[in-house]
Amino acid sequence: MASDPIYPMCLRGFALALALLSLAVPGIPGMAAPVRTEQVEAELVAERSAPKPGKPFTVALRLQAIKGWHTYWRNPGDSGQPTAIQWQLPPGYRAGPIQWPVPEKLPIGPLANYGYEGEVLLLTDIALPPDAKAPARIAAHAKWLVCNPERCIPQEADLVLDPGAAPRAQQIAYAREALPESAGPGWSFKAGGAAGGVGLEIAPPADFRATTLHFFPYEEGKVHHAAAQALERRDAGLRLFIPAATQPLGALERLHGLLVADGVRGFEIDVPVKGVVIAAPPMAAASSLGLVAALALAFAGGLILNLMPCVLPVLSIKVLGFARGRDAHAMRVHGLLYGAGVLASFLALAGLLMALKAAGTAVGWGFQLQSPVFVALLAMLFLALALNLSGAFEFRSLVPARLANAAASHPHADAFLTGVLAVVVASPCTVPFMGAAIGFALTESALVALGVFAALGIGMAVPYVLLAFEPRWLRRLPKPGPWMVSLKRWLALPLYATVGWLAWVLSIQMGFAGAPGAKDLWQPYSEARVAELVAQGKPVFVDFTAAWCVTCQVNKQLVLSRPETERAFADRGVRLLRADWTKQDPGITRALAALGRNGVPVYVLYRPGREPRLLPEILTREAVQTALADLQP
Amino acid sequence: MKALLAAALFAAGSALAGTVGQPAPDFALADLSGKPVKLSDFRGRYVVLEWVNPECPYVEKHYGSANMQGLQKEFTSKNAVWLSINSTREGHYEYYPPQKMAGWMKEVGGAPSATLLDPTGKVGRAYQARTTPHMYIVDPKGVLVYAGGIDDKRSTSKADVKTAKNYVRAALGEALAGKPISAASTAPYGCSIKY
Repeated sequence: MASDPIYPMCLRGFALALALLSLAVPGIPGMAAPVRTEQVEAELVAERSAPKPGKPFTVALRLQAIKGWHTYWRNPGDSGQPTAIQWQLPPGYRAGPIQWPVPEKLPIGPLANYGYEGEVLLLTDIALPPDAKAPARIAAHAKWLVCNPERCIPQEADLVLDPGAAPRAQQIAYAREALPESAGPGWSFKAGGAAGGVGLEIAPPADFRATTLHFFPYEEGKVHHAAAQALERRDAGLRLFIPAATQPLGALERLHGLLVADGVRGFEIDVPVKGVVIAAPPMAAASSLGLVAALALAFAGGLILNLMPCVLPVLSIKVLGFARGRDAHAMRVHGLLYGAGVLASFLALAGLLMALKAAGTAVGWGFQLQSPVFVALLAMLFLALALNLSGAFEFRSLVPARLANAAASHPHADAFLTGVLAVVVASPCTVPFMGAAIGFALTESALVALGVFAALGIGMAVPYVLLAFEPRWLRRLPKPGPWMVSLKRWLALPLYATVGWLAWVLSIQMGFAGAPGAKDLWQPYSEARVAELVAQGKPVFVDFTAAWCVTCQVNKQLVLSRPETERAFADRGVRLLRADWTKQDPGITRALAALGRNGVPVYVLYRPGREPRLLPEILTREAVQTALADLQP
Repeated sequence: MKALLAAALFAAGSALAGTVGQPAPDFALADLSGKPVKLSDFRGRYVVLEWVNPECPYVEKHYGSANMQGLQKEFTSKNAVWLSINSTREGHYEYYPPQKMAGWMKEVGGAPSATLLDPTGKVGRAYQARTTPHMYIVDPKGVLVYAGGIDDKRSTSKADVKTAKNYVRAALGEALAGKPISAASTAPYGCSIKY
């Protein structure tokens, strides 16, 4: 068998012998010499030679590990064990808690420990009774785990403070100086759920300088111990991204621990994570997209937008315009201007969204559709487009002649405005499935957010810009002719459908119609209701939805409202809650942020005693069945 | 578009390996006689994964007190599969080659269904196993339903085994009785795995 357990046994024997010796020869303080193991020298040291009544008395457990070995902090990290001291004091004496010095992060392969290499002094304040008489016997049983990256050895020792030893005031004073201080006045913090972790916004005092910052949590199992924490400098202060544990033990509701600057100065913080009422589920952790992935996803999303029912008919007009044929140069200029219009509109939307967020408004992506005015204008726009395609009127006959002439005489402006129009009509479709990329964008810096929105715009514009530059591809289209008229009639149909749908959204927003899905099966969502049901041991399924979200409606029709799905929920005793985000709702926005999302749809299955499970945004019956089957074997 | 999203979700899913509620990563590892053992071969039964390293004092606590062997016998008799996995890297001085590992298992009276060696650490990393012991339970459908510690007393003292709440016994008991697992994620404690 392993040789490891020999050390503690040896030590115990040694300590026992010392204890017996001291019993046999009372009053001899000789046993207070440091206890030595192969890796560690351990002793108690004191500030003064003897405790004085009425004065605080600080004693330290000094552990000196040999090179390459370490002992542990109060949260040991991925493995290991904190040092523990059991004090043996005269009656009336009371020992306070260990005052832990600032720890180091000690990487071990893919893991990390929090602890101390070399020497550490663990200070403890001992309170004396008023009638204390010197000399008193201050003793302790200390247990520690000492490790190098290769192996760990648990050790323990009985230690006695030598009343005859010289006081170590200076050593204690140094140790006290190295203790973390509380991040008091001059500091301000704000923490919010972000995809895959928590973003901590830090406004330090004006004179604060640090090259590195790292957060060490007091509690284990919620923050990812080994992961790097990205520090970002902003105009006003700093932002530290703290990744959550990948196998979390519970909700990361507060950041309680030490913020360590440059590896030496520790500041104690206790910051609530706003809006996080539940553990970030595994899927949220995974949706911490990298920048490149987010950009790629946004670009692909932009491309796909062109095929959406709200966009395709409108853009078809554009293609038909190309098909009419112009000279190559004009087409290129128009293609580029159209692209510029798309890009500018997306950037403007991003800017507006960030400005609203910065102003403290709890908004998420899709916010524009939460405004009844915007929905009404959009409905009218779609109606006009549809009527136009049907041939009911030509724009020329509606808008003042001067303006129409302007459009005709300013074809450049026309191309640019078509780009703007494309983005406006695309908005009901951008919202649903761009959740991950946009959620990511909004948790990042302004520059990154703009980059993601720009990628979305470029993706959307690129097919038409390419067509403008390669008109040969257009030749495959049939020659212009009467067929175009009938095609336009057909293309008008989805637009009429969109108008109907927007009218329905508007009627809900204005309170004319009942909330969507107000069937008995589904109850309205609230954070408290989820917590209550889960506490009762009931699984809860939440449908984060909005009337204006197309994907949400499709999922509802194809999956959630199906009798077999409803039966499956009932069979498993799953409670159904619907979070309706059709109108602004800060509570739902917060809950979405806690899930690492910034838009709907989001489907979550809360399971008692387990992490919530996120279902795909494009919901399938199989996905629901799989999630439900996993509830109970 | 569905395919694209499915692909994106799949890519995201692989980062979730070793997370409760997600499919347990499948693996095939050689047992001590060199025979490959595949996790997915045990579909339909509960599978316990135990990360073990005979040189670790925390492992010694649970084998020296016969705690681990007791659990192995108790649950393999209830048709569960118990796989003890040693992810110590080959070349580390705590590495046990197959014969030595078999000798140790015999000496301590261990009774897992199989003892597997993972000298490259591939499987350990896939599960994000951090300590010895670190315990996982896979349900009959292949979904990870428990990840965490063996019990709630972080120590190397064998005496603590009697008073500790054994998470694995509780979770397996609940699972086998068809009840939800009340503590599905707990803090593992022990030595670092020597990847």
